[in-house]
Amino acid sequence: MKINKWVLFISILFLPGIVLAAEMGTALKADNIRKEPYSDAQVTGSLVRGEKLEILSKQGAWLKIKTAQAGGWVRLLSVKRGTAGSGSQTAGLQDLASGRAGTGQVVATTGVRGLNEEELKSAKYNAAEVKKLESYTQTAKQGEQFAKSGALKPVKVVYLPEPQEGGEK
Amino acid sequence: MRVKYFILIFVLFIGMPQSFAQDLGDLLKEATKSSTDDKNTSTADASKSKPAFNLNSPSMQEEIQIGREITGNLLGAAPLVKDAALQKYVNQVGRWVANQSERADLPWHFGVIESEDINAFAAPGGYVIITKGLYRKLENEAQLAGVLSHEIAHVVKNHHLKILQQSQLLDLGAGLLGQKLGKDNKTVQNLIGSGAEICARSLDKNAEFEADRMGVVLTARAGYEPYGLPEVLQTIGQTGKDESSVALLFKTHPHPDDRLVKLDDAIGNRLDTIKEGQTLSQRFYKLKK
Repeated sequence: MKINKWVLFISILFLPGIVLAAEMGTALKADNIRKEPYSDAQVTGSLVRGEKLEILSKQGAWLKIKTAQAGGWVRLLSVKRGTAGSGSQTAGLQDLASGRAGTGQVVATTGVRGLNEEELKSAKYNAAEVKKLESYTQTAKQGEQFAKSGALKPVKVVYLPEPQEGGEK
Repeated sequence: MRVKYFILIFVLFIGMPQSFAQDLGDLLKEATKSSTDDKNTSTADASKSKPAFNLNSPSMQEEIQIGREITGNLLGAAPLVKDAALQKYVNQVGRWVANQSERADLPWHFGVIESEDINAFAAPGGYVIITKGLYRKLENEAQLAGVLSHEIAHVVKNHHLKILQQSQLLDLGAGLLGQKLGKDNKTVQNLIGSGAEICARSLDKNAEFEADRMGVVLTARAGYEPYGLPEVLQTIGQTGKDESSVALLFKTHPHPDDRLVKLDDAIGNRLDTIKEGQTLSQRFYKLKK
């Protein structure tokens, strides 16, 4: 009894901490840590590939992070969010046990099917759904109006070239 | 095994004498075209010397016919989510992004299907489908635009059409140039294989990386925060490899981590000048459940 109370007390102490815990991440590559979220800002440290870090906030293409050694801003694309290996193996097993994986059986909780190869292969044309799908179609003009209502302004951006190193054809 | 076989046939074809290859090309033309008034494509064909990848693009109507057949089969596996407001919203965002592409002329159709898998599909002619499971992972409109723009890029680049053309080639090759295919709906069905199996096929890795690069740019062109797609990739990357919801996605695509690294290589500081991209999280349509 006494122990249980202690456990409860400690749990409560830590609860806000858990809720507010910052998102964790891992460095996908070596990169500079900068003082400000700009590519010409002062370098305050560096990331080593695979290094664990804490994500504090996000601004455009940049993440504010903290590592054991340093803190500052790094490019969003240099970081993999979440703890490495998150997502459990057991989920796959549970799916297997529930009959969802492979068989495509209806799951009681969600009432939907999976989309595996077999199901896709054996799928039959559904004319009514196609008709429905096409009934939601928007014209180019309607798209423009929608953009306007959200104050979206088209920007001129050229396509990105293929990066050099992996350019096998 | 099948892939090896496929590559073998393909290599054989590449190595064929030009005249023979041309015959195959003509046969395919018969299979994919029902009209002959297509001067643009035939001159384009003549001007390029790689027959394997440039086998007569079908007319827009035929392209749409193929896409509708594939999408109809996919909808047979999982129907649309019964939420008209959601479907309309996705069409509005998708249409606006598609307007920024080279195929603004297509009658683009977007839909969210009843599946907790995390995946998205594109079919020729402007059909784009995403699963409810993927939609659930999105946090704002820029991320939705990012996901749709990747699929739009597949359509613009005819990635799936090329797969079909290649496998059609395989069939024709394997059947030793047996008989010419008819020009009716059966042709389309023959072309796409059984059901929506093409949705379970992998594209070339480079096609996926290309669609990522184009997707980021289309998202930016539409006035959104360009990093919508990479953010979604980061989210999906956190899903365990063994979870069944991503089984097909991970099987048919490079891992999100690899895609992020490739995107990073391609972007560098090229998008640094875009400062006013919007996320529009306040307008993002929330699923009912």
